[in-house]
Amino acid sequence: MNHKTKFQETDIINIVIAGTAGQGVITIKRLIEFAAHDSNCQSIFGSEMHGLAQREGAITSHTRYQKILSHNVRKNLYSPSICYGGADLYLGFEPSEVLRRAQFASERTIFCINSRTIPPILVAAKMDEYPKLETIEKILKEISNNVFFINATEMALDHFDDAQKMNMIMLGFAVASGSIPFIKIDDYKNVIKRELRQPDMNIKAFDLGYEKGKEVFG
Amino acid sequence: MSSKDNRFYLGENKEALMIGNEAIVRGCLEAGVGFVAQYPGTPTSDIGETFQMLLKNDAELREYLVHHWAINEAVAVSECVGAAWAGSRVLNPLKHVGLNVASDPLSVIALNGPGPGAMVLVVGADPGSLGSHQEQNDRFYSWMLHLPVIEPWSPQENKDWIKIAFELSEKHDIPVYFRTSTRVAHSRGIVKLGEIQKPKEKHHFTRNIPKYCSLPPHAINNHVRLYERIEEVRKELPKLGLNRYIEGTNTTGIVTSGMPFGYTMEALNQLNLNDVPIMKLGIIYPINYDEIIGFLQKLNRVIIIEELEPFLEVKIAEICHKNNLKVEVIGQKYFPKFGEYSTGLVSEVLAKIFNKQPSQIMLKAQKYYNSFQNIIPKRFPTFCSGCPERATLYAIKKATNDLENTVIAGDIGCYVMSFFPPNECSDFIICMSGGLSAAIGLSSKTDQNIIAFIGDSTFLHTGMAPLAEAVNYDCNIILFIFVNNWVAMTGHQEVVGVTNHKLSISKICEAIGVKWLKVADSYDPHNLIRTIEKAKTKKGVKVIIIRRECALQANRFRQSEIRKLKEQGEKVREIMYVISNCQMCMECARVLGCPAIRRTTINGQEQMQIDQDRCIRCGVCFEICPNHAINKIDLYPFDKEVSFREP
Ligand SMILES: Cc1ncc(C[n+]2csc(CCOP(=O)(O)OP(=O)(O)O)c2C)c(N)n1
Ligand code: SF4
Ligand code: SF4
Repeated sequence: MNHKTKFQETDIINIVIAGTAGQGVITIKRLIEFAAHDSNCQSIFGSEMHGLAQREGAITSHTRYQKILSHNVRKNLYSPSICYGGADLYLGFEPSEVLRRAQFASERTIFCINSRTIPPILVAAKMDEYPKLETIEKILKEISNNVFFINATEMALDHFDDAQKMNMIMLGFAVASGSIPFIKIDDYKNVIKRELRQPDMNIKAFDLGYEKGKEVFG
Repeated sequence: MSSKDNRFYLGENKEALMIGNEAIVRGCLEAGVGFVAQYPGTPTSDIGETFQMLLKNDAELREYLVHHWAINEAVAVSECVGAAWAGSRVLNPLKHVGLNVASDPLSVIALNGPGPGAMVLVVGADPGSLGSHQEQNDRFYSWMLHLPVIEPWSPQENKDWIKIAFELSEKHDIPVYFRTSTRVAHSRGIVKLGEIQKPKEKHHFTRNIPKYCSLPPHAINNHVRLYERIEEVRKELPKLGLNRYIEGTNTTGIVTSGMPFGYTMEALNQLNLNDVPIMKLGIIYPINYDEIIGFLQKLNRVIIIEELEPFLEVKIAEICHKNNLKVEVIGQKYFPKFGEYSTGLVSEVLAKIFNKQPSQIMLKAQKYYNSFQNIIPKRFPTFCSGCPERATLYAIKKATNDLENTVIAGDIGCYVMSFFPPNECSDFIICMSGGLSAAIGLSSKTDQNIIAFIGDSTFLHTGMAPLAEAVNYDCNIILFIFVNNWVAMTGHQEVVGVTNHKLSISKICEAIGVKWLKVADSYDPHNLIRTIEKAKTKKGVKVIIIRRECALQANRFRQSEIRKLKEQGEKVREIMYVISNCQMCMECARVLGCPAIRRTTINGQEQMQIDQDRCIRCGVCFEICPNHAINKIDLYPFDKEVSFREP
């Protein structure tokens, strides 16, 4: 496995997070960015979508940062969104939503995906089909060797009786993959304490995901 | 989680991570803004939410800063100038289409000028229509009304430049147009902070008829004064330092501004075009001619990178023409005039112009994506689980058995989602309350049944006027007013007067002269169906008010009440809806279409199932299942009940 990429401090790190509205895509994005800031990253820029309240739409966000700015001004971070094929980490909260934005991934992308599906209403209404998980996995494996599914929603329900904690488990899992470099674990925890309700439970969920990640990524 | 957001209190030279809109709020605090009024609209609504959050948690701030959710944009902009005329620095955030609504008062406000105070409009453009019903290049208003336009790119520029905008406005007695976009407003970055300034406490209006009454002859004089003011701004441009020049030896250069600057920098780097000189304009109207001419003189070609209709390109071509510069101006011949740009798009176009190979990683990613794109299930935006608006559409479908002979005038609010499958029951959409207005014309020319939708906020925004006209002409229209208590679509701002129960929409309708009016609850679908059937038999304007709180808000409130009780050790009654004997008739999934219901296969048998973590227990599917396959399970019937609050 070649998923332990080495990053340079002047590299731009690119993270895509995708899911459906209400799953906490923006919350997790903010946590990573605040933690990157607390870890003294010199440049951070990321875009997210706000404003549509409904719970059912597709949501994607991009997080980008540089530990240290390059001396060459033309090599630094200028756009809040990632270019096609640019993701280092693709954090997916819903499998079909990972496919929807897979043009941002390439062979160097590490996919961390929650396997719980949320079929769109047209699927329930028999007006559309949801692809099999195996099909999704096969498609993504053509892009990169590093595709990892865990059932984080089930873990969240089992351990915390709260499906929403899925996102924190996924974050811990992704952190263990090594694909969010230069950010200290303690900084995530401090940010969780500062920004979220139920910090203890959220930290427990983060740790649970992290442990799971250690099993998978070593 | 502390209640005060420290980022708005940190002192000078500290750093904070902020999205563009938060940086604007911080900049306003540093500029000593005293008054803000706005009607919500993506991407500027959260400016107001941030002000509201700060005001709620800070009694001292409440003494010198006022934030109003206005009833519409025309009211907001005039409200703002009133406060400016008393001497305050005022902010008016609005979305691009909001500017259309505000343009009538704004055209006069520009003549009069906001002095002695200062006025900045934050206009949120939306290339790509990411959160709007249309896209337009709102920049052209600046040519018509002579408003200086500042275009920031990063959160830092948002924070720093909004202060410059206030100074410019105050010094030159002119409203300043601060133009962001969805991407600029909602991107987060590091912001170095400045010092917070308290506004002055006492204000006073001083009479000045020639300035404030733009009637003839003052209207003409103020127009002349406006030309003079914009020339004064132009003279000041070199001192402002808003434009940025990045050196390069190539004889092809680039002029850009706002977010396209970011895409341009990364695209050039990707293509290894690191010698191309770049002029990034921070202010796009008026333009500093000398600076642009100086830049163009060293070039054979200049590429203009801007989203939507050519604005800078037209101006720069004019400068070349008038000054006899032999520079080829390239822009919309290669770049699209619609949609949002991206690094990928700019990179592909620049590769073409410079005759370079585009990035292979990018091309491969796009090509492979195209090969499987068609198996991704479509996820149209739809109503939340348990939304009362969806339940209303269900009742309409049931009560209106001949959809052929029925026209449904849609409008803008969460009910726009009635356009998408599986609901698909709106026929057109124009703008806020355009649906009801068009229904008046329709009803004069056809005998079809005409139904119109409007939400509580849209009704107050511009809906009362068409309702009065419909009553006057006895139009045969059934109007549904969704009184869900919130401006839901844009993220749940207060509906002026409705959320706090200061006004009554049913009394307004009665006062307007509506004779047939019923208040109904869509969580009681059978009764609602009967009400609609009755309305169909009547002539004239019929109003059905759907009085049910937005399910998302109602459920948030209910869950927080349940949490509180549980923390106190109380037991709470719990109701669950469970499907046990599903006949796969599709009524709940296709006709109603609640997203908490999923299709699964259990023991080889296909059936519907309710996701308990997504169901909010509205009970509508239970009411409508024709096979009585949905059971209501009352887990602890004798414990404390927490129901949805009364709207
Ligand atoms: C002129 C204009 N201003 C603002 C908007 C943004 N906008 C879209 S929907 C909407 C809210 C409508 O609220 P309401 O009518 O109460 O419907 P709800 O979303 O609550 O169902 C607003 C403000 C717009 N589309 N046009
Ligand atoms: S936000 Fe409220 S009104 Fe809008 S779809 Fe959701 S429940 Fe319905
Ligand atoms: S009760 Fe039925 S209609 Fe209401 S939210 Fe639950 S599944 Fe949807």
